[in-house]
Amino acid sequence: MATVPALQEPPAVVADAPAAQPKKGFRKYWHLYVAISPFYLLFLCFGLIPVGFSLYLSFHRWDGLGSMEWAGLSQYQYLLSDSDFWASIGNTLIIWALATFPMIFLAMLTAVMLNSAVRFKNVYRFAYFLPNVTSVVAIAIIFGSVFSTNFGLVNALLQAVGIDQVAWLNTPWGIKVAIATLMTWQWTGYNAIIFLAGLQTIPSELYEAARVDGAGPVQTFFRVTLPLLRPTLLFVLVVSTVTGLQSFTEAQVLLQNTSNDSTFSGGPDHAGRTMVLYFFQQTFDNNDFGYGAAVAWGIFLVVVLFSIINWRLVKRRGEE
Amino acid sequence: MASIKGSRRRGVALHAVLVIGLLLSAFPFYWAVIMSTHTSSEIFSYPPKLLPGSHFLQNVRSLFDNIGFFGSMFNSLLVAVSVTFLVLFFDSLAAFVFAKFEFPGRGLLFALLMAIFMVPTQLAIIPQFVIMAKIGWIGSMTALIVPAAANAFGIFWMRQYMRSAIHDELLDASKLDGANFLRQYWHVALPVVRPGLAFLGIFTFMGQWNDYAWPLIALTNPDNVTLQVALSQLNGVHGTTDYGMVMTGALLALIPLLIVFAVGAKQIIADLGKGAIR
Amino acid sequence: MRLSRRSLLRAGLAGTAATALGGLASGCAVPTGSTGRNMVLWYWDGGLGDTVVKKAKARYGGSVNLRAIKIGGYYRSKLITTMAGQAHLPDIAGLKGEDMASYLPNADQFVDLRTLGAEKYKSQYLPWKWDQGIADDGTMIGFPIDCGPVAHYYQFEVFRKAGLPYEPADVAKELNTWEKFFAAGEQLRKRIPGSSLLTDVTSVFENAVQQGSKRYVDKDRNFIGDQEHVRQAWALAVEAKRRRLVSNLVTGTPDQISAVEDGKLPSQLGASWAAYDIKNGMPKTKGKWRVTDMPVRPANNGGSFLSITKACREPERAFEIIAWMLNAANQASGYVDAGLFPSTPASYELKQLREPDPFFGGQVTTDVFGPAAQKIVVAYNSPYDVALGQPIKDEIKNVGVLGKDPEKAWSDAMSKCRRIAKHLGVSY
Repeated sequence: MATVPALQEPPAVVADAPAAQPKKGFRKYWHLYVAISPFYLLFLCFGLIPVGFSLYLSFHRWDGLGSMEWAGLSQYQYLLSDSDFWASIGNTLIIWALATFPMIFLAMLTAVMLNSAVRFKNVYRFAYFLPNVTSVVAIAIIFGSVFSTNFGLVNALLQAVGIDQVAWLNTPWGIKVAIATLMTWQWTGYNAIIFLAGLQTIPSELYEAARVDGAGPVQTFFRVTLPLLRPTLLFVLVVSTVTGLQSFTEAQVLLQNTSNDSTFSGGPDHAGRTMVLYFFQQTFDNNDFGYGAAVAWGIFLVVVLFSIINWRLVKRRGEE
Repeated sequence: MASIKGSRRRGVALHAVLVIGLLLSAFPFYWAVIMSTHTSSEIFSYPPKLLPGSHFLQNVRSLFDNIGFFGSMFNSLLVAVSVTFLVLFFDSLAAFVFAKFEFPGRGLLFALLMAIFMVPTQLAIIPQFVIMAKIGWIGSMTALIVPAAANAFGIFWMRQYMRSAIHDELLDASKLDGANFLRQYWHVALPVVRPGLAFLGIFTFMGQWNDYAWPLIALTNPDNVTLQVALSQLNGVHGTTDYGMVMTGALLALIPLLIVFAVGAKQIIADLGKGAIR
Repeated sequence: MRLSRRSLLRAGLAGTAATALGGLASGCAVPTGSTGRNMVLWYWDGGLGDTVVKKAKARYGGSVNLRAIKIGGYYRSKLITTMAGQAHLPDIAGLKGEDMASYLPNADQFVDLRTLGAEKYKSQYLPWKWDQGIADDGTMIGFPIDCGPVAHYYQFEVFRKAGLPYEPADVAKELNTWEKFFAAGEQLRKRIPGSSLLTDVTSVFENAVQQGSKRYVDKDRNFIGDQEHVRQAWALAVEAKRRRLVSNLVTGTPDQISAVEDGKLPSQLGASWAAYDIKNGMPKTKGKWRVTDMPVRPANNGGSFLSITKACREPERAFEIIAWMLNAANQASGYVDAGLFPSTPASYELKQLREPDPFFGGQVTTDVFGPAAQKIVVAYNSPYDVALGQPIKDEIKNVGVLGKDPEKAWSDAMSKCRRIAKHLGVSY
């Protein structure tokens, strides 16, 4: 087992050993800069101007067609005092947490099982991939009926064990649980495949070494698999944070029936209105493009903040 | 895991759990298939129909009457295939650099990349449209392909993957053999990270195939759209949507995705722990 | 390497600074609108009848190449985006009724139809519908397609079993006030256990507001959502809840559909196009339904327009096409194809609208919708109505669904409106 910690964080400096005679900055590294440049160039061309424009927009009032009116910082002042926006942050975080942690646990479990099950591997992988590609319309209809009050599968199960019916799509908590379940269902297989790809990079000798040391499967998982899977785990967590905090389709499709007025309203008491749904409602229902832009920047800050927190959490534990 | 080989009973239990997962994952898909064989009103009747109906061919026919299915499928393929290859190349190259080399500004550049990843760019569709209109790409597939040719998600993924998959000894050895940077990338890094590339390829293809919001705005010529945009034209207002037809379209649109997945997933499992690395 | 918080922050700042330099350059040199013989028409699926579109293509094929494009997804955002981008605009664009408020303040994006001789068609259309297409400054941007008169749909047998009037004429006469309508609901609940008159309080509130000539914001940008007309609608909705006339179900969910099919929700207040929802969603109920006047007076819900954008190179020809597509005969065919209830009263006498409908027990539904369409009053449609009506609609929903205290809900709605009004520059 002694080899494990050494492999855990491969030292970054390899090809250009510090011993090599230092050439002057750019001449020595130019090929590296060229290699990473396409992404930055594309962002410069197609990302920067829109992003800059939305920043510009957030200091104005604009209905999308007419002339813009300077608004100074008032959109941001309003954002800070806007209880609807804060509530949408709360909704997003709760739904995100309810979905992400079960999902990561299940995905890792699935990946480990898939990695060890020899037969029918292809069949399982194929099936676990399906939730991610099934049409949203179908998913909305199906989950709508799974969580239906009188006919839903969930309530049938609850009643079978003697618990009262829950009006899932009609109560604030029920809505959040339903959305989180849908997200977990949709993304578990996807992340299991990511973990599986990560598991494949672990050399089988390490498992054999662990077995020789007399480690059981659980011990092996925590002492060999998990440490070596950390880069993948970090990836999954950060991507789940970034995409999860910007989620809206799940809430939209699941609750579109419950809102006679707008598909962006997020159901009773706006319990399913995520940050991005709130952005859409402000921008496209209210034609308030200026405020919508301010909301978008608010979303950005929240996403950055939480990504950093997650990054630090996983990293710190990795360094110990 | 190693200890499983011995226990047959544990193998059965494992498969039992996996089968439950399989049923949970596949059921909504199964239901989508069922829906595609019924009329719209049958879909919403209770109790729900659990067996296939007889309406599939009618649904296919009305689908083909309503949209140019194969033309838009060709466009979708064109976009998704081009983007996938571009992304695989650009992202893995950049990721290789971030994962295995030290150079001034690396930390800053990577942080910038992650920051860009978090910017909700899809929320600024109007200026994107204006830029594309200025370049004159509106209405053409170029407007979809070029901006998507490299992305932060893929670079981040490949970097994480390469950090553990490419062992430093390999690079050191190739360096001693006199390999330059491009040779190291092509002959050392790429063969080792095939599973990672397969993953990135599958999900890039899938993302492009299903992308909808931007193509809907950017493709102004109705005879020249991607499949998802064409399918979106089937949604009616006031509940007049023919769900049987919509579902049939959604399912037929999945076929290429499933093929790509089946082919790509083989690569993910490609057994390379055995000796390819050393 | 470590991605430290500091470097991330630094990158964020650098990015922000860089973006501040970028801006939206204006004055584009891209082609706007169509060229030559091409004439592009944007609408959405179900926005125009297929027959009419096909006939128009053939009829005007000699002079223009009419390309009718169904736009999927969120129609208004696509149209506004394209207009803001000033490129590849359609010549003729459909405008949804509920979106008119956001187009009217930007009437300069459209051709004023009065300049093309629209006035001479005015007498053929419902006056209130005609007025809805006209901006504050008198510019006419929308030419009427259809309208959505609201009526009372009910299940014949269920009403009879509950001892209520059941012939359409009797229902209209005897349930002609909200009070009588609610009393009937109480009788229904007593006679048929487990039944409710309506699905939710929202349908009471919204229809009561729509019946009036005022909404939430007036022409002079004053908030009027705290006035008597809204308070009354609110009180009606609260009363419906208090007297337990509404279910706790949600429209369109399996629970609600099956309750309707079982006759537990035998009554709905819906627009003319709701007939298509019922027919598609609940085909089992064929023959059980009748339709009659809603209590008090009719309301309108939905109905759209055709417009000519500034990008159009040949406005005269475009106007000729839309005026023809929306004449009384073609509106009748739009009704058959897509359930678009005509805004041309002359259509109501045509044979397509006089067909007995077996779904409604052989009733000629035009006898209800036609007169209703002619009695609708027009309300001022402010661009701020959506933003300032929403909190009130949200809170009445909370009263209905979550059982929130009505007093608290009203004061919450008002304080939210006050905040939003201030933000939007609407005086409270």
